[in-house]
Order: sequence, then C-alpha cells, then structure tokens
Amino acid sequence: MSSSRTRSGPTLNFKAVLLGEGCVGKTSLVLRYMEDRFNAQHLTTLQASFVTRKVSLEDGRRAQLNIWDTAGQERFHALGPIYYRGSDGALLVYDITDRDSFQKVKSWVRELRQMRGTEIALIIVGNKTDLEEQRAVTHDEALQYARTVGAQYVETSAKENEGVAELFELLTHLMLEQLSQRQPDASPLRLQNPDTDTLNNSEDSGAPDPGDLAGQRSCCGI
Amino acid sequence: MSRAARPPSLRLGQQDLKCRSGCGFYGTPQNEGLCSMCFREKFNDKQRKLKQKAGETGPGSSSSVATLDRRSPQHAHLHGKVEQQVRKSLDKEQDHLGTLQKKKFTAVLQKTLQAGAQKITQQRGHVPDPTDGQFLLQLRQLRIPDDGKRKLKLEIQRLDSDIRKYMNGNGGKNINELSDLVQNAYTKVSDIVHNDPSFEIATNEDRDSAIDFFEKVVMTQNHKFLFSPYFTTDEDSDVKVQKRIRQLSWITAKHLDCSIDEVNSEARDLVYNAISELVGIDSYYSPQEKLQCTWRCCRHIFELLKRATGGPASADDFLPALIFVVLKANPVRLHSNINFVTRFTNASRVMSGESGYYFTNLCSAIAFIENLNGESLGISSEEFEALMSGQQPYSTPWESALLACESLHLISENMKRMEMLQKRNALISSGITSFEKELIDFQREVTERVDTVIAKAPLNLLPIKTPAFLIGQARAHLLTESEAGHYQANMLHGGALTSQSLTAVGGLAKPSATSENSGLSLKDTSMSSMGRLSPLQQNVQPADNLFASPIFNYTAFDAVSLLEEPVSEANADVLMLGSEFQGGLTNINYDFDLSDQSGENSTAEESKLNLDEFDPLAQKGSVVQPPPPLPESSLLDSTTDSLIDSEVPGTAVLLPSPLKPEVSNYRGFSNFDIPSISCNTGEFSSLGQDGADAPK
Repeated sequence: MSSSRTRSGPTLNFKAVLLGEGCVGKTSLVLRYMEDRFNAQHLTTLQASFVTRKVSLEDGRRAQLNIWDTAGQERFHALGPIYYRGSDGALLVYDITDRDSFQKVKSWVRELRQMRGTEIALIIVGNKTDLEEQRAVTHDEALQYARTVGAQYVETSAKENEGVAELFELLTHLMLEQLSQRQPDASPLRLQNPDTDTLNNSEDSGAPDPGDLAGQRSCCGI
Repeated sequence: MSRAARPPSLRLGQQDLKCRSGCGFYGTPQNEGLCSMCFREKFNDKQRKLKQKAGETGPGSSSSVATLDRRSPQHAHLHGKVEQQVRKSLDKEQDHLGTLQKKKFTAVLQKTLQAGAQKITQQRGHVPDPTDGQFLLQLRQLRIPDDGKRKLKLEIQRLDSDIRKYMNGNGGKNINELSDLVQNAYTKVSDIVHNDPSFEIATNEDRDSAIDFFEKVVMTQNHKFLFSPYFTTDEDSDVKVQKRIRQLSWITAKHLDCSIDEVNSEARDLVYNAISELVGIDSYYSPQEKLQCTWRCCRHIFELLKRATGGPASADDFLPALIFVVLKANPVRLHSNINFVTRFTNASRVMSGESGYYFTNLCSAIAFIENLNGESLGISSEEFEALMSGQQPYSTPWESALLACESLHLISENMKRMEMLQKRNALISSGITSFEKELIDFQREVTERVDTVIAKAPLNLLPIKTPAFLIGQARAHLLTESEAGHYQANMLHGGALTSQSLTAVGGLAKPSATSENSGLSLKDTSMSSMGRLSPLQQNVQPADNLFASPIFNYTAFDAVSLLEEPVSEANADVLMLGSEFQGGLTNINYDFDLSDQSGENSTAEESKLNLDEFDPLAQKGSVVQPPPPLPESSLLDSTTDSLIDSEVPGTAVLLPSPLKPEVSNYRGFSNFDIPSISCNTGEFSSLGQDGADAPK
C-alpha cells in the first residue's frame, strides 16, 4: 500500500472518551467544540453524547475524531471500561470549583493507567474557569498531579469558549503521537493496512481500526 | 424454519428434539429420532454390512447436521445446481453403494444438500456458490469493477466454506477462534478492496459498500452457525438476563433518575418506538442490520430526551433512558444478539462510528442491569431484595403508569371527540337555520316572480281561443259533414288503442311500421285521388287502409292535445298542402255523405281523414267555401256518439286483407306524390317515418 493511497483512502480514526463526574461540563465542552466549528448551523443535533468531526492534520492528512461521552453518575462508574476500551485518548474533566470532581478524575486516571497502561493519551481538563472566584482546585495542584501521571493539563471554560478548540487540537496531536509510538513502522501513515496490523497486533486494542475490534470484542463479555 | 418464528421459550424445550444418539444436533421423526447425520451413518452401516464395503461417509458428512437447519429458501437456487453435482459424484464415487443408497440419499437430499456440497468441496475442491439470487443481484449492482466483483465473490465463497469447515470440524470449537477467522477475513477483504488493482477506479464509498456487502452476505448466509452456537453459553445468558429483567419490572424511571415522563402519552409513544426497535434486533440476520436497529432505537430515545430536556441530550441522560428502555423491552436473546454483533461485525468499520457508540451503550446498559443493586438505584438493599423477591408489592411501575396513561389517553381522546361532535352539531344546526331561511326566501322569491310574471304575461289571453275558435270551426266542419262524429270517435279510439288498432286494422299480417306507411300513403292517394275520382269506389277500397292511417296519424295530438294542436296543425297544413287538396275538399264532402249513408266505419274514417287534413286548408286557404256549410249541428253530441260508435268499427274492421294489395299499389303512387305526405297535419315524427320508409 502506497502512502498516497492511504491519503486518498480511509482516514485515520480516533476515538476519545469523555470521563468525569456529572455536571462538570463534559457535554458542554463537546457542544462548544462542535458549535464553534460549525458556526451554530449544526446545532440542530439531536444528541451530544456522540460527536464526530473530521480534522486536518499537520501533515495534510485527514482524521476522524470520534468523541464518546459517558454517563458521569457514580452508579455508572463501573461501566467505564466498556467505553474506554479501544479508545485512543481520554479527556478527564473536572470542575475547578468542585474538589470532589477532581478526586473523581484521580480515580479515573488510576483506573485507566491500570487498564490501558500508557497506550492511551490522557488530558486532564479543568473546566469552568469562568468561575475563577469559586475555584477549589488550584491550577498548580492539578498541573502537578497531571505531570506525575504523565497526563496533559488544560483549563477551559465551555461557557466562555476559552481553550476549547485548543483542547481538542491537543487531543488530536497527542493521539497521533501515541499512534506513531505504538506503531513505529507504520508511523502515522498506517491505518487500515491490515497486513501488518491485525494479524500481528490483534492484542493491540489501542489501535484505532483493527485493534478496536479486539477491544470491542472483549467488551461483549460484560 | 425461520428464526423469527422460533421463540426462545420453545427453543429451550427442544432438548427433547435432539438426536437420540446424543450428538447434540436435532433429530427428526422421519429419521427415527436421529439427526440426518446419525441416520445416514446408521444407514450406511447397514449398507456396509450388506455390501461388505467400506462406507463413503467422510469427515465432511458431519456437515449435514449443521446444515440441517439452514434456511432452505436462501439456498433454493443452489439445489438444482448442486443436486446435479451430488448426483454425479454419487454415481462416480458411491456407485458401489447401490441404487438403494442413492435413492435414499436423494430422498433426504433437501436436508443434506449442504452436506453433499461440502463433500464435493472436499473431494473436488469445488466451492459452492454461497450467494443466493438476491445477493447476486446486489453484487451486480455494486459499483465496482467486474474484476473486483469476481474477487469479492471468491472471498465470500472462501469465508463461507471456511466457516462451515470449522463448524463441521471434529476438533474442539472455540468461539473466539471462529471470531478471529471471520475478522481476519474482513481484514483481508478490506485489504483487497483498498489495495487490489482491480479496485483501482472505485471510490471510497464504493469500497466501503463492497466491504459491507461482503460482511452482510457472509453473515446472513452463516447466521445459523454463528448466532448463538451450541458450544457457547449464549443461550444460558439469554435466559438469565431475561429472568433478571423480569424480576426488575418494578423499576421506574425515577429509580434510574432518568427524565422519561412515564405518564406523558407522547413520551410513551416514543418509548414504544424505541422498544419495538430494540426487540426487532433479533429479527435481523447480519450484524450491520442489528446495529442499524440499535441505532434507530437510540435515535428514538434521543428524540424523547430532547423533548424532555429541551436540548441535545448528553450521555448522563441517555444511558439511564436506554437502561429503562431495555428493562421495559426485555428483548429476546439479548446476549446472543450482542455477542453475535461483537464477534462478527466488521469492527474496524462499524464499531468506531455512531452505531458503535450506541451499541457500546447498549452493552453497558445490559451490564448495569445484570449488576445493579439497591445502591445503584438509590434504595436500601433490604428494600431491593424485597422488591426482587416479590415480597414487597411495588407501586406504580411502568405498567400502572401505562394504565393510567391509557385511561387518561382515552379520556382526552373522548373529550376531543366530543368537542368535534359538538362542533359538527353546531355546524349542522346553523346550516339548518340558514337553509330554512333560504327556503323561505326562495319561496317568497318564487311567488313574487310568479306573481310578477303572471301580472306581466297575458297568458290568460292565449287560451282566449283563437285556436279554439279555429278548432271550433274545424270541428264544425268535420261534424257538420255528419261524419265528423265517426272521425272523432276514431281519433279517440285510436288514441286509446293505437297499436292494437293499427295492427288489427291496418293489416294483420304486416308489421306496424308498414301499416303506418301504407296507411299514410293510402291516405295520400285517397286524398289526392278522391278529389278527382269517383268517391264511392275509392272510398270503399281504401277505406280500410285509411281506417288505420288516420288513427296513427292523429294519435299524437288527438288524445292529448285535441284542443291545442289544431292551431299548429292548421298552420302546417296551410303551409304544406298543395292546392290540389283544396279541390279535393269539395269532393270530400261528397264522400262524407256516402260514408254516412253506408254507415261503414271505414268510409267514415276515410272521410274524417280527408276532412281533418283539408279542413284547416279550407279554413285558411279557402275559408270562404267550406265554412258556410260547417256551422251546423251540435258538435258535442256527435262526438260523444262517435265515441261509442268508434269501438264498434274498431272491432268490426274486417276488411284489411283485401285492401293490402291495393296498399302496395297506392304506395307506389304515394311515393310519387311524396310532397303530399306533408298532409300529416304537422305530425313530424310520422313524417319522418314516412320519409324513411317510403323508399322501400
């Protein structure tokens, strides 16, 4: 398969999950991201729990970014693995005015690192910076924590549309990096090249395409 | 045996239907309770003993069992093709088994056909075409190069046979191996589609559709093998989750903290839609279709949530709602379907997309249902246990909410209906009043108009009887001739009897039409001739004919409009009659006298005829001459008399036959004198007839 074929052929497929407690603004972030890009014309969307966007990469290729929202209620916490299996990135959102939500993020990080190791790109997102005066978690604390777990830290305000586009750009970049690390041979160009992928890496559930299948398959075992 | 027609409850009871030999497949009564495979082995054993030869049953023969329950319609078209091959192979290779074996084999061919095909595959390396007509058609419709289609078909056949080989293999089976087998095939096809030169010109969409097609065909074809295979515990899981959901029937939307309004009928309808889609998953064969079904189900839920929350729903709202729907739907074979999709769908294409997301949500909903406890529902574990065991009666679950909803729905429906009826009623009553008003108006208008018209129109003057006067004169003419009485009698008589008298008098043997003609013609001739020839002889002879003719001619107006018509009659006569007749009139007078004296009806009538026609002429054309004699005796008396008399002549007409020959003669004559036909005194219909018939 030539690289030119890949460019014209199937696009890269990234899957990212949104994790975080309820009411921290996961959905708002997604909506803001979509709205911003589409100039509010596409706000007739029926739902905000799954969004997909095509993004242009630095090298001119195109990638499809699938963002999976998850239910934030505590009772659904146990279902997390079903969602983040096979994902390339995770956005761990917390409310900077709510320390509990930050603790929740920590538990998510532990779980993710345990289940997925380093094959998933993590971004910790402190949302609601528009409520600076009520801040309960300092920027430094969060940044410190993120560094210790090998995650990125970003602060956003979905309400004021601050840092949202940057957040997703960073996410795409990280996932691409992750991909090329995992698949040094195929580099970012790889994808949908089954000869090397599936047969050799069926256990690589982080791989966006054939790897996905392995992850999904295991999810059936619920 | 279609899947949909096989409810899971029945399925569990089918243990009894299993093969007696305990091979795990289903047996049939036709095969002595054995599955077709065991039955055939048993049969072959017998054969072997008989023939002292080794049986032909190879390892591939076990396939018949697995293929036994394949949907035959899908492979119907294969039968013809493969049957021949099977026969051939049987002839060649099982020839030694004897004809009896063959016969038996072909008898169960319908069921073991796949086995036969499999055997051929193994023996000759021939892969049977797995696609049925529908798929072949779809393949043809794919917008990919023919070369690519061929390759795609080959891959389909390969995977198809691979799956069957695996399923029919004797080794231990592992569903994951099977899944890998299929997934690797997907990958291979994807590779071919994207990199093979034969797909060079295809667009990305076409390539994707080719891959989807591949998946759909193989999965539909092998649904029977791959869906909930016997070596997995899918069925057990199905039963477990179904029981569990049944136990959880007391869960309400409140428990789940989801924003479904159970009492809103609109919301309820949407939930119903979602539920029916969810239940419908089981009725599709391919993972793609099942995923699409899930997708539709979730779309309904989102629609519902959007109405409830007023904006795009997030996962926080969605998952509880989905769980609620799954709980209320309690779909059959839930785990089997989920596992089928996760194992055999083309994950790289489908699973990362929107339907993949929904499917994942469905998975997590099921996981939640299986693991939920009191804590996750926000109730104490004791209460949870009590509710689960049914000790504590639960209040207002979905069902009772539905009941309430139902009655409310009915009430509102009835109210709507009442409202509509009321509206209609009001409409009707207002319509009635307006109609009444209209009627009154109309009546008044009509009366007004009539009044004005009456006031305006001197209609009263019309009957002032200028015509009456003429009639009077005419009658006077007729009657004063003393035969007038007869004439009128005949006229009336004719009016009453028309057809009878016509047929009877005019000529018994002739049809009425001819008699009319003859009558007319005769009349004409008589009239014309009468003027010139001696009245006596002629009268006697034509009289009978004339007897008929006058009746006919005058019926129209005689009976109905004796009084009115004379006006037009007179006019017509004036216009139409030639001057010849005027001369005739005078002669007619003579005739009348004669007829009178003779007392014969015929003569009387004849005279009437002449008179009738000539009278107006006499009045108008030469009023002066005839009138003086006219006003003589009483018209009325004579007419009344004539009425009585007329019946006698009507019945007494005995002379038609002798007249006939003459009729024809006269006809010829009359034809010659066609213009004279106009003598018919304004009866145009008869004129027309005459004109038409005369040429004869």
